Amino acid sequence: MSDMAKVVPIARGRRRAPRPKPKAEPGALEQRVHELEQELRVERQAKRADSLLVALARAVSSGAGALDWASLGRLQRALYFAWHSEETDAYGADARFAERLEPFLEFLYAMWWRVEATGTEHVPARGAGLVVANHSGVLPYDGLMVQLAIKHEHPARRLCRMLALDMFALLPMLAPLLSKSGSVRASPENAERLLREGELLGVFPEGVKGIGKRYRERYKLARFGRGGFVRVALRTGTPIIPCAIVGAEEIHPVVGKADWLGRPFGLPYFPLTPTFPWLGPLGLLPLPTKWSIDFGEPIDLGEHGPEGAEDPILVNRIAESVRETIQRMVDGRLARRRSIWFG
Amino acid sequence: MARIALTGTASFLGGRLLRRLVAARGADAVLAVDITPPPTTLQGVRHRMLDLTLPGADRRLVEVFREEGVDTVFHTAFFTTPRRDTSYSHELESIGTLHLAAGAAAAGVRHLVLRSFTAVYGARGQNPSFLTEEKRPDSGSRLGWVRDKAEAEEHAFSFSRRYPGLGVTVLRFATLLGPGVHTFYTRLLSKRAVAVLLGYDPLLQLLHPDDALDAAVLALEHGPAQVVNVVPRTAMTLLTALHLADKVTLPVPHPAAYPLAELWWGAGVGEAPGAFLDCARFPFVADGAKARSTLGFEARHSSREALEAFLAYRYPEARPPAAEELAVSEAGASELGA
Repeated sequence: MSDMAKVVPIARGRRRAPRPKPKAEPGALEQRVHELEQELRVERQAKRADSLLVALARAVSSGAGALDWASLGRLQRALYFAWHSEETDAYGADARFAERLEPFLEFLYAMWWRVEATGTEHVPARGAGLVVANHSGVLPYDGLMVQLAIKHEHPARRLCRMLALDMFALLPMLAPLLSKSGSVRASPENAERLLREGELLGVFPEGVKGIGKRYRERYKLARFGRGGFVRVALRTGTPIIPCAIVGAEEIHPVVGKADWLGRPFGLPYFPLTPTFPWLGPLGLLPLPTKWSIDFGEPIDLGEHGPEGAEDPILVNRIAESVRETIQRMVDGRLARRRSIWFG
Repeated sequence: MARIALTGTASFLGGRLLRRLVAARGADAVLAVDITPPPTTLQGVRHRMLDLTLPGADRRLVEVFREEGVDTVFHTAFFTTPRRDTSYSHELESIGTLHLAAGAAAAGVRHLVLRSFTAVYGARGQNPSFLTEEKRPDSGSRLGWVRDKAEAEEHAFSFSRRYPGLGVTVLRFATLLGPGVHTFYTRLLSKRAVAVLLGYDPLLQLLHPDDALDAAVLALEHGPAQVVNVVPRTAMTLLTALHLADKVTLPVPHPAAYPLAELWWGAGVGEAPGAFLDCARFPFVADGAKARSTLGFEARHSSREALEAFLAYRYPEARPPAAEELAVSEAGASELGA
């Protein structure tokens, strides 16, 4: 339906090949149906590309005359739907947006950071799973990369929905970007709901303390919140997959903080890096470090049962042991790493 | 015979519900309580002229409910569109509901149904993806529009606690949009250009009035059910809605937009107070699972279908491209005909 709705009644029929007369031979009908399907597919493809190009061409050719409201509205519409599908899923994930964003993310994944992902087989191929990772890098690139690692290197090509920090769900540009790429705001309600629906979730329990770490504190995992992720995992009987990300700490080395600068913008911290804010927008360019994303053995919490979620001592113990596991994985990687840039 | 009393029959939803009930149960089964009489086309509907804001309205309501043998009250006298006269909307929504609940409790009414809004949860960045009925309304909101409705709900529940015979249902309807709806949302959708917040595109739930009426009728049949969200089948994003309607969007950075909108509203031009921009910034998507399980309510329309039904109604002469395309697509033809 979303494809059908992209009709722009120009250039119609131009591409349509003259219809051959159906022959009475056996199998001809199947052949014809196949041809028609092929034709339809080509036409749909053409229409999707056309609508934006046609709208732009119209605007350019009519010059200042294009500045009436109706054509401006049509142009904006074509621009918007070139990037967005007309329907999102219940949580706001947009398939076409993800598709359009993918080349850019893939460039970051394969060329810029040359991500090396190991242990993706530990991620369950179906059913609920909770990927728990260390957070770093000022901006939530690490979440997008974990998502991409699971999508590309896991045979089931699953969508791992990331639980985004409150601050990212509030910021302009970043909020729709994250929600359209499948993230939801990190809250126990959201996590429990999604896990009960059998989704794969990714969470960074360090939260703001992790992502805004100073450079000298790098790879020292901060406190794992209040163990909310463990409670949700216990309540829903979901396995926890520890995940260690190395390389993301150095993309924006935080040498200082000027939190008072960020307060008027509603930011919980305001990082100062060697390039930001001194170089302006150029300072937002992340450094091309070499990344590795390691997934560890799943931790099954089934033995404790859902009632374990009500035992704060148990919850804290599990949270601490998950933190230690990830810290060990990070340390192991760091010991083997010879260069920040080349791994 | 036990009658259903309806307040706010001059409102869109109240009027439509009155028609639906008259058609289903006969004119004698309903009683319109409003300061304006019901339309003359509805012959034989009993009407009591009553101003809920006046002191002593509760005493009059007791008399009216006893005389007419009312056992169920459906209260729809709420403002969908924010008013500049905030003291009057406070009197009608908060105090009016207080009077109504007091009158209903004293007259031995069995079931009080309140029309409410999912917007009372408050549009906030911290909202979960689906708001459930357990979440309390945002009684500390910056918007009087929200606070008054939150207070009205609170009044109804406090009377229900004190008078166990009085059961309460609060139906929190998602934003209504469809043929015949006239709210500030539809006024915004009737402009050629709409200001939006730069870098925000929250999910919206647009409820078709037919679905709202179905839920209202089911709630009357079911009996007291506490709070129930009434939402469409699926949500859509704000910008998708505006672009499907072929609007020109003018993105404004949010730090500038709030004071500007407030100024615009204060100058008598804007459609809503500045704090309403939260609804264009953050989602307030409610979960419809309880309506399904307790009332057996299943929305027939998605947000998109509600929007398209509205556009076909608003622009009947030149159907916008959204409607044209829909006519050729597989799902749309029936909606446009209806």
